[in-house]
Amino acid sequence: MEYENEKRMWSPLVERIGIPVILGAAVMLIAVFVPVLVWAQDAITQAMSVEYRDIPGIGSRNVIWVVAQQHLLLAGFVLGVPIFAWVCELVGWKTKEPRYDKLAKEFTKLLTSAYATTALFGGILLFLLIGLYPKLMAYLTDIFFPSFVVYCILFLLETCTLYMYWYGWDAMQGSKKGLHLFLGFLLNLFAIGIMIVPNAWATFQASPVVISEGSAIERAWAATWNPTWWPVNIHRLIANVVLGGFICGAYAGIRYLLAATKEEREHYDWMGYVGNFIGVFGMLPLPFAGYWLMREIYQYNQQMGITLMGGFLAWLFILQAMLIGVLFLGANYYFWMGITYRIPGSEQNYRKPILAMLVVLMICLGVWMTPHSLVASLEEARKMGGAHHPLLGVFGVMSAKMTVSNLMILVTFMSFIMYWRAGKQETATWAKVAKAVMGALLVIAGIAVIVLGVWGYFVPAIIRINYFSVAQVLIVLFIMLTFTPLTAALMKSAKTTTEMVWGQMPIRAGYCLVSNAVMVILLMSLMGYARSSSRVHWHIYGVMRDTSEYAYSPALGYAAAFMSLNTFLFCLLVAFIFWVATMGEKGKALPKEGLRESPGKVPEGIAPALAGGSPTSEEISRT
Amino acid sequence: MSEVAVLQLIGLVVVGIGLLILLFIKAMFVRVVGFVIIMLGIFSLIALGVPQMPSLPPAIETFDLASVKTPDDLAAIGQKIFFSKGQCALCHSIGPSESARCPDLKGIGAKLTPEFIYESLTQPQAYIYLDYRHQGPPKEYPARMPYINKNPIALSDQEIYSVIAFLQKMSGEPISIKVEDVMQLANTQQTMTVAAAHRSSDFERVNPTESTDAPESGEAK
Repeated sequence: MEYENEKRMWSPLVERIGIPVILGAAVMLIAVFVPVLVWAQDAITQAMSVEYRDIPGIGSRNVIWVVAQQHLLLAGFVLGVPIFAWVCELVGWKTKEPRYDKLAKEFTKLLTSAYATTALFGGILLFLLIGLYPKLMAYLTDIFFPSFVVYCILFLLETCTLYMYWYGWDAMQGSKKGLHLFLGFLLNLFAIGIMIVPNAWATFQASPVVISEGSAIERAWAATWNPTWWPVNIHRLIANVVLGGFICGAYAGIRYLLAATKEEREHYDWMGYVGNFIGVFGMLPLPFAGYWLMREIYQYNQQMGITLMGGFLAWLFILQAMLIGVLFLGANYYFWMGITYRIPGSEQNYRKPILAMLVVLMICLGVWMTPHSLVASLEEARKMGGAHHPLLGVFGVMSAKMTVSNLMILVTFMSFIMYWRAGKQETATWAKVAKAVMGALLVIAGIAVIVLGVWGYFVPAIIRINYFSVAQVLIVLFIMLTFTPLTAALMKSAKTTTEMVWGQMPIRAGYCLVSNAVMVILLMSLMGYARSSSRVHWHIYGVMRDTSEYAYSPALGYAAAFMSLNTFLFCLLVAFIFWVATMGEKGKALPKEGLRESPGKVPEGIAPALAGGSPTSEEISRT
Repeated sequence: MSEVAVLQLIGLVVVGIGLLILLFIKAMFVRVVGFVIIMLGIFSLIALGVPQMPSLPPAIETFDLASVKTPDDLAAIGQKIFFSKGQCALCHSIGPSESARCPDLKGIGAKLTPEFIYESLTQPQAYIYLDYRHQGPPKEYPARMPYINKNPIALSDQEIYSVIAFLQKMSGEPISIKVEDVMQLANTQQTMTVAAAHRSSDFERVNPTESTDAPESGEAK
């Protein structure tokens, strides 16, 4: 029956055209396509034999380095911003404060502007990789093709959701706000998917899992679920929030410095505070995620771990300590300036604690930056009795560094708590007891972290790594998780004694925010170099060797110069994108959003912390 | 002028330009740019001040048979491989060391037979300690000796026997690896037979747990 139908369908066509014509066409097709197919096959075979292409004068690796770094930093920003933009929107919706909604919208505006540029650099990177590293890309494509499809679908979904989220912002206010929030949730869900799929490709290069049997999907899945995939996913997710927060802070800092009116200063001072708060909020758990990643690397392959921590990259971690130290100092300094300038009069109460915190931070930074073995001449080494300094040598080991990093996190957290409490008088009957308990817990925690650190010298490394370091981290987390709700509960009923004044921060506050962003960008560039260099001369560790002329990792000085160049280019790129994004504002009335439109009710829970720790002046005058 | 000196000069110029901008330019955005390039310049200068060690790929060493005349020549090649391509010194020390992560190899050439050393390098999980220096129950992820004849290290048999010759020499033992066997290996690519024992009692397979210098605890697998 089907055959009959088919025959009926084809017969008129054959009759109309004629068999000779069809045969002629077939011959023509064969005559044309066979040579083309043969030529294409030859071209493919020839292309497959090319392992590398170079760009004379600049070098293929340098080009990839710059483009990949720009793409990754932009991607980090684009994936980090929706997380806290959505949280801001959620807080605004819960507290009914329009300023949060407007801040979330401003964050999203920066996001939409950066999104297209991120995709553009991603495309350039892909073309360059296919062109310059064809053999590697053919291998990766062979393994990961199913995940390429997933990535494309996620990218489409992300783009559609972002358009709806951004362009539907004003239309979805009021009763449709729930739908808009759901779109924001989806946006973040797809964004996380977009992040973790390429992470699988990158982590596979460091810790490959290769299986030869099974379907394409099974092979891709096995390669995706490699030992460092999830540690990198978590580390990058948090780091993206930190990057996004500090870049938004820097944007606000520059706008604050350029502000022409009081309203602008107030708005961008507040936005700068929120950016810094988000950056610090993410920065506190980041070292823990980094620690987990390093543990996984050691467990996967000790040689790789040793190359990172004890081999030619050992000095990189001294630079990392310096950058993190400056970042911690910058973040704390911004909090302290906030206490001094936004809550006038309260600096008298906090001068001594601030000085003590500064001393602790400087000592911790000094210990963290102490190298294990010193650069010394033969004579100096002989006098010291080796490459380790007799006194300072004890600070060069992991036990000391873990201790001080935990202490720095504690100090930074306390700076935030101090800022939150500044200008407030607790009225709760249990306030005194709560404060005493918190004080005692803080002292005990500090002592416990130090004792575990010192004890760590006298136990086998594995005991220290598996138990002591973990205990130190848990102690600090315990403090953060108990102090935050306790302080929130105390502040709920607290009386405001000093009016919070926005827009009074000195010029150096703006520079401080810029410095924090630069430190984070440098840190991400530095650790990207570390991750890539840990593979030494392998494209895919132990599986595919790099046989190009660039199969070496450059020394730190050269790499740092490149990182600086990349950071500068990224800053210029972001400044340009933001400038274009804000061009539309020109001529419009400057945002009176923010502070002036706050309702009388003082928000509860996390909201006051996000808002700067104190209600606005209008709120105070009303209460 | 070295590359480091050129980069230091560029770093200083960059910092200088930043300072000039901060001193003489009033436009706030340009001042911020000046501030940023000062930070980047200082970062680069500090990074240029620490030891500069590029990580070069191990040379694809050709086993120059012509240069090997005596067992000592073989041991000399083995020594080079021990500290470079073989990556042995990354974890092992020769002589007591606080920073060593794995057993001290001093005298190992006298304690263990060449066959046992060969097996330890090529089938490290066949007969070796787990949990070096570890007290208590075994770890979930114990320290493991990598397969030296497979990627990423991938020493050839000739290279492995050279390393064994080096281990014997530095233990004060006569080198039992025969040059002609290694030569033959180059042609046949077959596993060479190790020369007969010069002290037959020493050539019995030694269980490292019985050794006095063995790690404190652990489980043989």
